[in-house]
Order: sequence, then C-alpha cells, then structure tokens
Amino acid sequence: MPALEIDPSQGPAEGLAAVVALRRLADLMEDAEVERAMRTGWSWPQVAEALGVTRQAVHKKHAPRLIAAGVDLRRR
Amino acid sequence: MVTRLAPDARSLFASAEAEARAGRSSVVEAEHLLLAMAARPDTDAGRVLVSVGLTHDVVERALSQEFQASLAVAGVSVVAQDLGRPSPEPPRRLRLSASFKSAMERSVSAAKGSRQIRPAHLLLGLLGAHVGTVPRALHVAGVTQAELAALTEQALAD
Repeated sequence: MPALEIDPSQGPAEGLAAVVALRRLADLMEDAEVERAMRTGWSWPQVAEALGVTRQAVHKKHAPRLIAAGVDLRRR
Repeated sequence: MVTRLAPDARSLFASAEAEARAGRSSVVEAEHLLLAMAARPDTDAGRVLVSVGLTHDVVERALSQEFQASLAVAGVSVVAQDLGRPSPEPPRRLRLSASFKSAMERSVSAAKGSRQIRPAHLLLGLLGAHVGTVPRALHVAGVTQAELAALTEQALAD
C-alpha cells in the first residue's frame, strides 16, 4: 500500500472521510460475503440472522443481483 | 431542468452509471462522474482533465489511494484482492447519491445563461465541492482544484 500523508490540519474531514470509506468497505464486504454464502448453499434466513437483519431486507437488497449473476436461489 | 443537457453531457450520465456498476457500487457517486469524464477526452471536460494528467487510470488510482488513506485513519488496511469480487448490480437504474445530486445542482447554476449544459459545466459542478471523496482524490493526484476550475472556465469561454 502506498504511504500517504494525512494532513492533520484538516481536522474532522479526515474522520468523516474514514466513515465514508468504512461504509463503502462494509457494503463491498456485504455484497461479496452474502454472495459467497448463497453460492455455498446458505438459506436467506441464515444469512439474515448472521447479519442481524430481517430476511425480507437481505432478500430485497441482494436477490436481484444474485439472480442476475446466475446464482440458483430456488427453495431457500 | 431549465437548461437542456448537451448530448455528450447526457452520455456521461450513462457512463457514470457504468462506472458505479463496475466499482460494485449500488449508487452513482460524484467520483463515478469524474471517472466517466476522464475516460472521454473527446468532451470539453475530458480534455481539461487529461490536460492536467487526469486520465481514467490516474483518477482510478487516486480514488483507490484516497480509499486506503481514509480507511487508515480508522486503523483499517485492506488488500483489494482479499475483498472478494461480488457480482455487479443488474442493469437497472442505480440511485443517485447526494454528492452526485449536489454536483448536478451546481452544474445547473454554472450553466445559467448558456444554451445547454455541457460536460464542462458538469465538471464545474464536481469542482464546487470542498470536502468529500472527489476533492480528496484530486488532492492525492496532486491537482489543485482552483486551477482545474480555472482551466474549465477557460474551456467554456473558448
């Protein structure tokens, strides 16, 4: 990773940028890990429970993408 | 919208959405529009960006460095390859982020009095942000925002 200096005089901008980056990282990880779980046979209720969200929420968020990617989601 | 969108400005919207999808984002952010512009040196905005060295590759690298640096503030470091590669969003309309919408509003103001909104107006809209991912990535790339804005104004005047 290239070393990059962070200018402390910017103050809160650094902390807020970290929040943005962490959200993006969490979104990317969620997409990748939900896909991995569903490709290895997990059910929607299992994924929902692991993420601490409702089945409906996780389904609504990820099903269209996974269906488009050709993941077999029948009877789950 | 009061002013019409020029055809090449309109096509940048579609490219920005494609950039968002390629970046595995479910929303179109201001930085996706910047990436789209950098890939289009046939537009006034793209010409300005490339004239200061901001090619698509350079912008992409700057955004990635900004991401890593911001994560580092929180003590987090990731190797891109370890993140896995989720499948992209299906080809449906992606939501526009607040950063994208604010840039649009500034573009409309910048284009006031013009016949249509050109890509350079969209670039001025992006450059109107003082904080956030785009300004930070430009800083990483070693580009002065004010200088870039001046070049963009000049391109519009030509």
